[in-house]
Amino acid sequence: MKKTTPARLSQLLFLALFFALFVQTEYRGNDTISAAVNSFFRTDPLVLATYLAAVRSFTWLLLPALLVVVFTLLLGRFFCGWICPLGTILDLVTGKIRKRAPLAVLKGKLKYWLLLPLLSLALFNINLAGVLDPIAILLRTLTFFLYPLMGDTVRRGWTELYHLMGDRRDYLEPAYGVLRDQLLPFRETFYPLAFLSALMFLGIVFLERYERRNWCRNLCPLGTLLGILARLSPLGRMPADLCPDCKACRTVCPTSFDREILQRDECILCMDCLRSCRFARVKFRFRFGERSVQPYLPERRVLLGGLASGFFLSGFFRFRRPEAAAGMLRPPGVRDEAEFLKKCVRCGECMKVCLKSALYPAVMETGGAGLFTPVVIPRLGYCEYNCTLCGQVCPTAAIPNLSAADKKRAVIGKAVFDKNHCLPFARRTNCIVCEEHCPIPQKAIRSERVQELDLQGRRITVQRPYVVEELCNGCGICENVCPLEGKAGIMVFAVKDRSPLKGEAGKGDTEDPYGVGGS
Amino acid sequence: MERRAFIRLLGLSAVFHHWLLTDLFAAGGPVVAVAEGKDHAQLARNAIAALGGMGRFVKKGDVVVVKPNMGWDRTPEQGANTNPLVVRAVVEEALRAGAKKVKVFDRTCNDERRCYASCGIPAALKGMKKVEVKYMDSDRYRKVPIRGGVLSEWELYDEVLKADVFINVPVAKHHGLTRLTLGLKNVMGVMGGNRGSIHKNIDGALADVNSVVKSHLVVVDATRVLVAHGPQGGALGDVRVLNKVIASTDIVAADAYATTLFGLKPKDISVTVAAAKRGLGEMDLKKVKIVKA
Repeated sequence: MKKTTPARLSQLLFLALFFALFVQTEYRGNDTISAAVNSFFRTDPLVLATYLAAVRSFTWLLLPALLVVVFTLLLGRFFCGWICPLGTILDLVTGKIRKRAPLAVLKGKLKYWLLLPLLSLALFNINLAGVLDPIAILLRTLTFFLYPLMGDTVRRGWTELYHLMGDRRDYLEPAYGVLRDQLLPFRETFYPLAFLSALMFLGIVFLERYERRNWCRNLCPLGTLLGILARLSPLGRMPADLCPDCKACRTVCPTSFDREILQRDECILCMDCLRSCRFARVKFRFRFGERSVQPYLPERRVLLGGLASGFFLSGFFRFRRPEAAAGMLRPPGVRDEAEFLKKCVRCGECMKVCLKSALYPAVMETGGAGLFTPVVIPRLGYCEYNCTLCGQVCPTAAIPNLSAADKKRAVIGKAVFDKNHCLPFARRTNCIVCEEHCPIPQKAIRSERVQELDLQGRRITVQRPYVVEELCNGCGICENVCPLEGKAGIMVFAVKDRSPLKGEAGKGDTEDPYGVGGS
Repeated sequence: MERRAFIRLLGLSAVFHHWLLTDLFAAGGPVVAVAEGKDHAQLARNAIAALGGMGRFVKKGDVVVVKPNMGWDRTPEQGANTNPLVVRAVVEEALRAGAKKVKVFDRTCNDERRCYASCGIPAALKGMKKVEVKYMDSDRYRKVPIRGGVLSEWELYDEVLKADVFINVPVAKHHGLTRLTLGLKNVMGVMGGNRGSIHKNIDGALADVNSVVKSHLVVVDATRVLVAHGPQGGALGDVRVLNKVIASTDIVAADAYATTLFGLKPKDISVTVAAAKRGLGEMDLKKVKIVKA
């Protein structure tokens, strides 16, 4: 690690903040989370740009990102050198990685061929920016891979201790308690795409073999976007090119001085060249009204090609398997699928915070356009009735931040019995675990007592459940707790009309619209 | 009756006809104490005092498990969980009788963090010395053979099996399947595994589990009861304020009496009937001594 510079200090502070907020993004006894890691996405101009392109309206949630845009126009790519947690991690590890020659294939216009189609896709309503956003890549690696791994390892160790020590383990309880309550995830959730998430991150680290900040310079769409803005910045390094008698900047500079002239759009303002110049020649100065000597990139060909490819690609991401779509349940409050896809950053925060581990990243059930977006899988976890956390941490309000009363009325889907599996129908035995757990005060699952013959021909009374669709919000607890192994006897299916339940939950007494007496 | 003697008697019950056993109990006559009033903590203390005081059950140095119902993410006013004031009073009495440690827990139905926070019981016990309120730990369930009619074995919570005294503190409320849930059903909270699967034969299964996990003292909270949409409720319109606490050493008698508060008869509740048949207690209220506390 290098000596501490202001830029390095800022990087470490923001990295620490990122981790602190990440750990904070969990239920720890309060109904509200005051500060979550979503703050980073709200300062992310790539999120802002694709949100504007796809949704075509502004949200005040993204005001910080607008400020970053303004400051980038003034100062340049300071975000990459002073704030970005992924960049910081690369700076911290790059010293340990031996370098080879830069990869030619990454040079040139590749980064524009990534950024432009992303922006253009957003214009055509497919917002995939989050898939390649550096902060989202880092957060998904933590959420889906590293954090569960850490929790699982520690917890298994703790269990092993119990097998070794029995109740004497209780003496260690206070120390473990602090770890468990303050740092570890409450329960380990294993996610699909954990390895893909980790691979994206590891791939970026791997690229450090070829040159420093390889991802940041040659691929990162956020960095590329900031680079375009940075070209207009009046703050520049003097002299703009390498001095013929020294050329030390070529090795000092983490990003841009492999060519003779400083690339404005790659300079991350780390100021290392300023500090290490033996002749004290290097200065950073504001100079207005000066035309950049660099050719304007992307060229017209790349610009038009990028936009056009977005248009054509947007069609390809629309394929969906119809049977998968029926089970594709979105978090509470999401009413319109197309709207949701335009806004979702795929950062994984909702899945991280979900109280009952009900949310998982979509693999392909939502088509390519929905990769990494959250879906509810009730058999693994249900939406807790009184919890509103996912809406609170969503950086773009793709999952709306609803009050507890509104969230209870928000419809995720509707539960449907499968009489071929459900015990009272299929086996003619009592059960009613679903009715017991249904959180709707008036009960969206009720039961009727019926006389019938059991499978041996004896006359019996069985309680048969049924769903009151008007009251069901699709939280999925019924499917989750169904005692059948494997497939549940009741399942929640997606519905197009997700208008909220009528009336205020918990108040008044809705009559059973089917007129069958309750139990 | 001493605990050991009681267990021995149960062992013998396999040999004798159940009516003979019932007659034996009638000779002693189980006692059910019923306290009524506005001060809910005092009700619990009075009911226990009427049975002869906590000293009858808890000896100096005992490890005591107090098992309230805190299974749902509901507030005390909603009547789905045991009243925190009643739980605190029971815990205090146990400590006063000399308990070395009092453990309070429940296997919740909703998220345990939310249940523990909403039910108000951990908050009511906060800061008390020698009192431990923890989430249940999946490591600590132990497979126990059960010589019952329905279950042959089940995972039960080790801390309950190891405790010197088990005090069962249910809230009385409506239940969709068993009509009411009381002391016998509250013991489900120490069961591991796929609990839902016992619902297909819940009467026998609960008798089985209660024959292994003995409640040395049952304190039924009927200060607020759910009369419909149980066991979870949620609407205050379904809650009745009865201001009563019932205590007994006989879990079946306690449940039988609590049943009458809902305008039902003990024989209407098949869980109670199955437990009485198994010899776990007396459900005939004529043979029970009811004491106003």
